[in-house]
Amino acid sequence: MTDPGGRLAAVRIERVGDAALLAVVGDAIDADLNAWVHRAADDVRRGRAGAAALGAPVPGYASLLVPFDPETCSEDAARALLEATLRRTADSPPRAAGQPIEIPVRYGGADGPDLADVAERTGLAQAEVVAAHAGTVYRVFLVGFVPGFPYLGILPEQLALPRRATPRLRVPAGSVAIAGRQTGIYPSATPGGWHLIGRTDAPIWDPRRDPPALLAPGDRVRFVPA
Amino acid sequence: MLEVVDPGLLMTLQDTGRPGYADLGIPPSGACDAWGLGVANVLADAPPDGVAIEVTLGGGELLVAETCAVSLAGADLGAERDDGSPLRPDAVHRLAAGSRIRFGGPARGARAYLGLAGGIVAAKVLGSAATHVQGGLGGLDGRALRAGDRLVPVRRGDLAMAGRAWPSAIAPHPAAAEGPIRFVPGPDLGSLPAGALEELVAAAWRVAGACDRMGIRLEGRRLPAGTEIVSHPLVPGAIQLPADGQPLLIMVDGPTVGGYPVIGVVPRAELPRLGQLRPGDGVRFAPQGAEEARATWHEQRAGFARAAEALHADAVWHRLADGAGG
Repeated sequence: MTDPGGRLAAVRIERVGDAALLAVVGDAIDADLNAWVHRAADDVRRGRAGAAALGAPVPGYASLLVPFDPETCSEDAARALLEATLRRTADSPPRAAGQPIEIPVRYGGADGPDLADVAERTGLAQAEVVAAHAGTVYRVFLVGFVPGFPYLGILPEQLALPRRATPRLRVPAGSVAIAGRQTGIYPSATPGGWHLIGRTDAPIWDPRRDPPALLAPGDRVRFVPA
Repeated sequence: MLEVVDPGLLMTLQDTGRPGYADLGIPPSGACDAWGLGVANVLADAPPDGVAIEVTLGGGELLVAETCAVSLAGADLGAERDDGSPLRPDAVHRLAAGSRIRFGGPARGARAYLGLAGGIVAAKVLGSAATHVQGGLGGLDGRALRAGDRLVPVRRGDLAMAGRAWPSAIAPHPAAAEGPIRFVPGPDLGSLPAGALEELVAAAWRVAGACDRMGIRLEGRRLPAGTEIVSHPLVPGAIQLPADGQPLLIMVDGPTVGGYPVIGVVPRAELPRLGQLRPGDGVRFAPQGAEEARATWHEQRAGFARAAEALHADAVWHRLADGAGG
């Protein structure tokens, strides 16, 4: 078997509790790395159609969690099956997406209570923060944390800040936020430690819709000041 | 049939959960204490993935709208009839129309499970009726129970299981175990300072007020924190170590990915113990090998199956005896 992208050589398979494995392929927010992770997830899903020894895979930025049922499949067998699957995963470029999905955002004020603070800490004017955030086309690296939350990247370096020292107990639904080289949209009210710079009315999560999440991994997104 | 008079702190409908959708950010949800749910279901002649009410810490009240058999399992939340007579956990009680069930407060554990004959009627969303409030999924309209909600048994009018009791001598609740909570070390030991694992094990921890279906924050000695990592997927039972050095246990409604290093993961057999922790409880940890954790799980399931079989055999014997008597 070949290893077209040489990724497998870099993969580390870790144990997660007594019934899951985590394939770690890197430690960066990187579009190529993440595209490989999603292709690997697709390959695991396809493999499950034949023999469901492995559970539904969960992609991270640069890692893939794969549950298994120890009652029907030993850890060694699960590990071997996962390795064999990853060996077949071709190293392809990020999926060529269509037009970016546009998300209208009301920046600053009560909708983005941290905008002024972000401007101060980055040494930019508020308008410059908005221009930099809205002037970038992002890629959905993964959906997680809470239902429908899109992890978008890559945020321009000049906007990169560590998370807030103390997370908010309640971030309003629709809040557009930044942290590190990431931006995201809170689909529902939840605790959160990112910096809130705006808010959207776009329906990010609707449990009555199929699919309930507006955004899927690989989608491209642009924020439009409303 | 039951009607909610007062949900107390929190009452939700739960089953065994909806694994397999974490790639959409949807956590498995389901009962925090799968053992308690399982006992409530077996006692109520419900399928293993049947729906029961998860009652949190007590303070709630239910009205019996139609005479029914109610199974109780999990925590002892001081359940009693309105005449003050206790409703003992791990048993099935026949409750007459017009009477009430009150939960006084936790005597042992945090979450009780209340089952009805054949399970409770609830629509499935993504393969499960488990309530996930954050995502608006499952239960009744994707929300927690509130006053006026009616819970209907799958088999209305079936009272045959009243009087049954779970043979705890054969299969005691995992939370009855003394001793440290086991965890399988990893996967992020490489992102933590040397010695973090030993310090986690050496320290005594206390469950903080922030303790819910999403996660349990622990307080105690400040551990050396690791660096933030690129977010990777999480599972219930993961022990995260945030920058403040106070461990965070991920529960069934918790985040599906996270950026704090995971020092270890509580294995399946120990998860029911986490579901019964309440604020103020003391916690200690001990590392366990994955193979041993799986063996414990296997034994635990076998014990459960033996107890369920004994219960069933007993029920059959009683039916025969009743038949002979009549």
